[in-house]
Amino acid sequence: MKFDLALSLTRPQGFCLDVSWSGDVDALALVGPSGSGKSTALGLLAGVEKHQGHLRLDGVEQAGTPLHRRRMGHVTQDALLFPHLTVMQNLHYSPWAHTLHGEGGVKEADVIDALHLEPLLDRRPRHLSGGERRRVALGRALMSVPRLLLLDEPFAGLDAQRRRDALSVLRHVRARFGTPLVLVSHVPEDIVGLAEHALRLEEGRLVANGAATSVLSAGETRVDNHMTGRVQPDGRVEVDGCDLVTAVPRGITGSVRLACFAHDILLATERPHGLSARNVVETQVTKLEEAGDAVLVHVARPAVAATLTPDAVSELSLAPGQRVFALMKATSISYLGPS
Amino acid sequence: MSAVSLSILVGLLATLLALPPALFLGWVLERTRWPGRGVVYVLVLLPLVLPPVVTGYLLLEFFSPRGMLGRQLESIGLPVAFHLAGAVVAASVVGFPLLFMLVSYAYRSVDPALETVSRSLGRGGWETWWRVTLPLAWPGVAAGALLAFARALGEFGATIVLAGHVPGETGTIPLAVMALMDVPGAEQEVFALCGVSIFLGVLAVVGFRALDKRHRTRLELDR
Repeated sequence: MKFDLALSLTRPQGFCLDVSWSGDVDALALVGPSGSGKSTALGLLAGVEKHQGHLRLDGVEQAGTPLHRRRMGHVTQDALLFPHLTVMQNLHYSPWAHTLHGEGGVKEADVIDALHLEPLLDRRPRHLSGGERRRVALGRALMSVPRLLLLDEPFAGLDAQRRRDALSVLRHVRARFGTPLVLVSHVPEDIVGLAEHALRLEEGRLVANGAATSVLSAGETRVDNHMTGRVQPDGRVEVDGCDLVTAVPRGITGSVRLACFAHDILLATERPHGLSARNVVETQVTKLEEAGDAVLVHVARPAVAATLTPDAVSELSLAPGQRVFALMKATSISYLGPS
Repeated sequence: MSAVSLSILVGLLATLLALPPALFLGWVLERTRWPGRGVVYVLVLLPLVLPPVVTGYLLLEFFSPRGMLGRQLESIGLPVAFHLAGAVVAASVVGFPLLFMLVSYAYRSVDPALETVSRSLGRGGWETWWRVTLPLAWPGVAAGALLAFARALGEFGATIVLAGHVPGETGTIPLAVMALMDVPGAEQEVFALCGVSIFLGVLAVVGFRALDKRHRTRLELDR
């Protein structure tokens, strides 16, 4: 989606926002410390507040369009489900939800399936946990077939395991529905995991913009690799043609979602011996990417990235196309859930 | 018609008459900001603090056959002063501030962010009111209506001035009690009417409390 923004706003309490940027990206992150204006900027994109300047999406000015005609899937931090409606009625709330069959490839069953909402459909919001509420809110936004998804701290308040699970669900949703999105988050993993491009705001101003990994400050880059695979009869999981020993509990079969932090993956240029790591996979470097003060080395299969220091990269003379061995401990490959 | 059934009829009609303007004004004053809002507030709440007889007198000026509105209404065959309609209008106006305050409270307890979400999901202002604001506010609105109904049952001052005591037409319980107090040997009837008043009053207050609790549960205020 082509963004052309010049958003300017002054609140009576003295807060000023002034952000101008244009670019063509499908997944944009707004990052910055709290109070920097990320959520305010997201609200302006959604149309919940008036502002000065212009806001063009794919060349069309949005400023004069009333909120109920903008088709923005705005998911706020507190899910804001309608308490008098069941989950199913919340999902069906938008008038566009009734016309969505086939449109943009989004189908009700797909949304329910992708977000694991089936067991929740008859419940009222007050009987849902925080994570469930957020999944329903995201589902409700997707059901309205938005032109742009606006997510405000979609994983705030979730513990580490649920956060990884939610991130994996969201990546899955993105892959399945392809809706462009703008994400506000202060957690670097979310940003690197979901967005291509990031804008860093400070005190209401744009201070940096670029590839998601480059905008994060030093030490912020913790990349989480998400994978899907199929459990084999011997208990290993086949991912991109590699059989991996993982932390998937016994008894689980079928397709599974896995995650492994980039800093838990080691690379070697020769096959190592006498190691405790259960997985030593011969693969190829595909790309090197700067990420804060580290380098992300992407390998072909399984398609993951490893975080290395620049010194390690130069000592091993790593370059795209080079043959390497990726080393992953079984316990560092977490099981997130069925796919 | 007996004083009891007349009272219930007048109370119901008065509440129904007051409900649409209370829903409209409550929403306008709770959800919009404009100069002059304060003045409207004062005017709306005035009948609560004015002596009911004064309210009745002002209404009579308005609704008498020579009054601004009375003449028009009389010409279309709807006389107000000293008719059933007069008792309804008097009870409605006197009960209005109570209804308005509870409707406003009910609106205020609905998170405006839910209305914003509704609009961003594609529902316009009116649809949002109908699908989100009113369903969430309705137990509070119903509680207000019940209280206004109870207030209408007890209305005396404005009714006697605007509608007078016409037995069977405007003779509600309070007016009947007042008239019977001057009739020797009618103590038992007065007692019976007092008993009915207490019974209806208790019913209304219990109903009000139940609806108020439901309102809070619905909005997850008591979670």
